[in-house]
Amino acid sequence: MGLRDDVAKILIPEDVLQARVAELGQVINATYTDADCPLLVCVLKGAFMFLADLMRHLEVRHAVDFMEISSYGAGTVSSGVVRILLDLEQNVERRHVLIVEDIIDSGRTLDYITRNLRTRNPASLRVCTLLSKPSRREIDVPVDLIGFEIPDEFVMGYGLDFAEEYRNLPFIGVLKEKVYAGNEQ
Amino acid sequence: MKIPGAIERVLLDERTIAARVSELAAQISADYADAENVVLIGVLKGSFIFLADLARRLTVAHHVDFIALSSYNRGVVSTGAVRLILDTRTSISGRHVLVVEDIVDTGCTLNYLLCTLRARRPASLCACVLLSKPERRQVEVPVDYLGFEIPDVWVVGYGLDYADRFRTLPYIGILRREVYEK
Repeated sequence: MGLRDDVAKILIPEDVLQARVAELGQVINATYTDADCPLLVCVLKGAFMFLADLMRHLEVRHAVDFMEISSYGAGTVSSGVVRILLDLEQNVERRHVLIVEDIIDSGRTLDYITRNLRTRNPASLRVCTLLSKPSRREIDVPVDLIGFEIPDEFVMGYGLDFAEEYRNLPFIGVLKEKVYAGNEQ
Repeated sequence: MKIPGAIERVLLDERTIAARVSELAAQISADYADAENVVLIGVLKGSFIFLADLARRLTVAHHVDFIALSSYNRGVVSTGAVRLILDTRTSISGRHVLVVEDIVDTGCTLNYLLCTLRARRPASLCACVLLSKPERRQVEVPVDYLGFEIPDVWVVGYGLDYADRFRTLPYIGILRREVYEK
């Protein structure tokens, strides 16, 4: 498979990834009750694959909603303000909200999303991310559940892309430098 | 895994779905082996699980995009006209587009969607649908890749919901009639 030729190394193999996703599912089951009926908010596009697997382990009653966001461009990087391309279908007022993210890097986007959702008065607001790059963090945004802390490498697969490619690789891999040379993740 | 009381029985279990998704992926990978610029368009919310499993089994390079639809009120059911509330992030013009849907029922929505996308002049346009209820069909709509034909019963799970419930069951189950005929 051509895409795999661009993988320098596998950072998190499929079986390790799946085992951790199952553990995260169990933590979520223990965190909420059926009466809470948490709303899992999937931030597109990257988190869809993580969510699809995470939900297989959820026994607690829950619902799913989606948000898609896009940055305004270079000028607004520091504020983290993003355009909401697709807003939630559901009103989250007095709902228990769990944001499901693929990766947290600088934390700016997540910080903006959490601030935005908090203005809607949810009953609670938590964050579950598959990956976190702590060395890249610029804003201290609370994250309740982290799948893996990873070093500052150019990762892709399992929903994460580089130039829209590689999302469907079933593992988390590090991209060969020659592929992304000159780009920033 | 315990089966909720609202589910009358399991129609398609996890293993059956996974096997069929693999077959569809193999067929799509073969058919698109020489195609460049392939984009899978998942129709939210229902298709995200199917899309996640299908994409992982494809051996052909592709991009993933999403659209979200919302129906207008009852008056326009016959035309299948829907409101596009999230459009694709990138243009599909000149690209090989595969629409990924969870279910085709009357066919009105899928037909409308395909007409809308075709107007954007993709290089090719095909539909991959997990479930079809042929008895319900009102509009003839081509489904190039179909997972399963099912009877006219209310199904939930694997992306399909009833009032936003049961969407994430890992199997496809039949909802008890009393649940939706209250």
